Amino acid sequence: MTGPSDYIAGVSSDARKAPRRVVFVTRRTSAHVRSVDEEQVQTWPEALFRAALIVEMLVIALVLISLFFNAPLEGIANPTVTPNPAKAPWYFLGLQEMLHYFPPVVAGVMIPTLLVVALVVIPYFNINIRPDGVFLKHRRRNLTVFYVVAVSLSLFLWFFDVYVALVPTLVAAAFMLIAAYSGPQSPGRFRRYLVSRPVSWWIMTWFLLELVVLTMVGTFFRGPGWSWVLPWRS
Amino acid sequence: MQLQKQASRLDKLMASRLWKSIFRSGRGASTLHRSMAIQQNVFLHILPTKVRRRMLNFDATWYLGTLTLGTFLLLVITGILLMFYYHPSVPQAYADMKDLRYVVSSGLFLRNLHRWSAHAMVLLAFAHMFRVFYRGAYRPPREFNWVVGVILLLVTLLLSYTGYLLPWDQLAFWAITVGSNISSAVPVVGHKIHFLLLGGNLVNANALLRFYVLHTVILPLAAVLFIAVHFWRIRKDGGLYVQQSEPARETAEEARADENTQQVVVKQ
Amino acid sequence: MEQDRKQKPGELQQEISRRAFFTKLGIGSLGLATAGTLSFAYQYMSPNVLYEPSPIVNAGNVEEYTTDSVTLHPALAIYIVRLQEGIFSLSAICTHLGCMTAWKPELNLIACPCHGSRFTDEGVKVAGPAPRPLPWFRTWLSDDRDVMVDRSTVIPPLEFLRV
Repeated sequence: MTGPSDYIAGVSSDARKAPRRVVFVTRRTSAHVRSVDEEQVQTWPEALFRAALIVEMLVIALVLISLFFNAPLEGIANPTVTPNPAKAPWYFLGLQEMLHYFPPVVAGVMIPTLLVVALVVIPYFNINIRPDGVFLKHRRRNLTVFYVVAVSLSLFLWFFDVYVALVPTLVAAAFMLIAAYSGPQSPGRFRRYLVSRPVSWWIMTWFLLELVVLTMVGTFFRGPGWSWVLPWRS
Repeated sequence: MQLQKQASRLDKLMASRLWKSIFRSGRGASTLHRSMAIQQNVFLHILPTKVRRRMLNFDATWYLGTLTLGTFLLLVITGILLMFYYHPSVPQAYADMKDLRYVVSSGLFLRNLHRWSAHAMVLLAFAHMFRVFYRGAYRPPREFNWVVGVILLLVTLLLSYTGYLLPWDQLAFWAITVGSNISSAVPVVGHKIHFLLLGGNLVNANALLRFYVLHTVILPLAAVLFIAVHFWRIRKDGGLYVQQSEPARETAEEARADENTQQVVVKQ
Repeated sequence: MEQDRKQKPGELQQEISRRAFFTKLGIGSLGLATAGTLSFAYQYMSPNVLYEPSPIVNAGNVEEYTTDSVTLHPALAIYIVRLQEGIFSLSAICTHLGCMTAWKPELNLIACPCHGSRFTDEGVKVAGPAPRPLPWFRTWLSDDRDVMVDRSTVIPPLEFLRV
């Protein structure tokens, strides 16, 4: 067995706040920090009071909105007259915009299914967990993949006249190009920030951009017969 | 003087046998009592007794998850109240909307609050998802809680969508007609799904009743169930994600390995 | 070979133990019960009687329709179209997502308000996301020369009813 000189003993002594910890480090291994202990507070009342406070503020805001703005109510449902335009709730208008371009089996079934599957599998692929900038490691390979994906996706959207989705794609691709041709030593904080972004960040940001643009277009810029209108001219 | 008297009355109440029989944790401001307040409460014990102080900062989470839960609670309360005046039948459902607006005391306000809270919940759930992603809080060992979150997002969207039909106005009817027709585009079984969903070939009284049952019973139950799992997993997966103070794990294997090794903890 | 192995003493018992047998029996019967429950659930959830309007409708006397006219009957969700070749009926429900279409005389087209699909007066799609042309319904004349339409029976296009 090991003698007393074979290890160092240490005691963490804030027994008032945390249970007493005793640590034994043998001479043969070197201790290294895996995690740092942080100051902790009691959930009751610290966290619960803050939660209650923020929820109260939310309730006040929603009550004020409800006092001043009435929920929409149109005429009674009439199967013989379709309002023009007939719009889904706002969070589905991105999908409705896609339905304008693609057959229902693509825009209504395949795209939502793919989205949900993509969201679910995010944490199960190591490529989504690594924090390296996308063009910092395996630069040549990643750049090739980027060009192939960006060009084919853009051509696909262009072929089907989906300019609404093409524009955000091109914007995202332009920023990726900036990232590709900058380095960690580039001037400008924003460029260095872009360089350090991993591939999962880029895909999610592209998705967020598409979501916002498509929802905005569907909500504000689509009128009778799903044609373009300006929201301030009604 | 008056205040002191009230305080002492409250003290007396909280020291009584009845109070102690209800609240097992007893009263007191010690760390032990405060831990017990969480641990000995059936609703709160899915939370950890302690949290990292840094996670309470507003910019750590923007409290988006808490806010989403807040809208859900508000929707449950206003929803139950609205159910007292709503008949899920054609054309009575629409007449009830008019009644809520012009006849029922505070009916207009309650319907407004339900409607706007629903919009807020969808918006907050999306915001919460993107916030969690950009902070990297979906990474192991929290990957399953991310999946639960995606399920909750879908339940939220379905809740909102089924609720959309209930007023039985033009907006509702055509949004559901268009939306349910999407389901018939599913290869092979599409028309069967469409028929089952609507309980017929058209958006009709059967569809209204089905959507009502989904909206008021099935989906809220699913939401409550998954919300409970979501919160419980926060605690089990090591609390809310804190950058820097946790080891950088690049793979799921690393995270699992970390849990099995003894960690040397250094006090700051 | 196979028979030799089975004849060895004790070998037969190892093939499936009593416990494994009952486990399999239990799981199997549970699976059967689940499948049965699901099929009952499916049957229960699909209504057998529907209180929906009859598919066979009367669209009025044929003399009401002039040549080269397209008439929408919103309540019946059909068009009665009369061309030189004859008369026929067309579904007014867009094949895309079920919106009610409208006849635009200025464009000489049938237009869907929801996603912008457009069709000719013979139901052929000319623009938009609709996957199929508007279906033709079986049409005949009653003894009183009323136009009768069976909305549940789709016929191949360009089968005009001569009058």
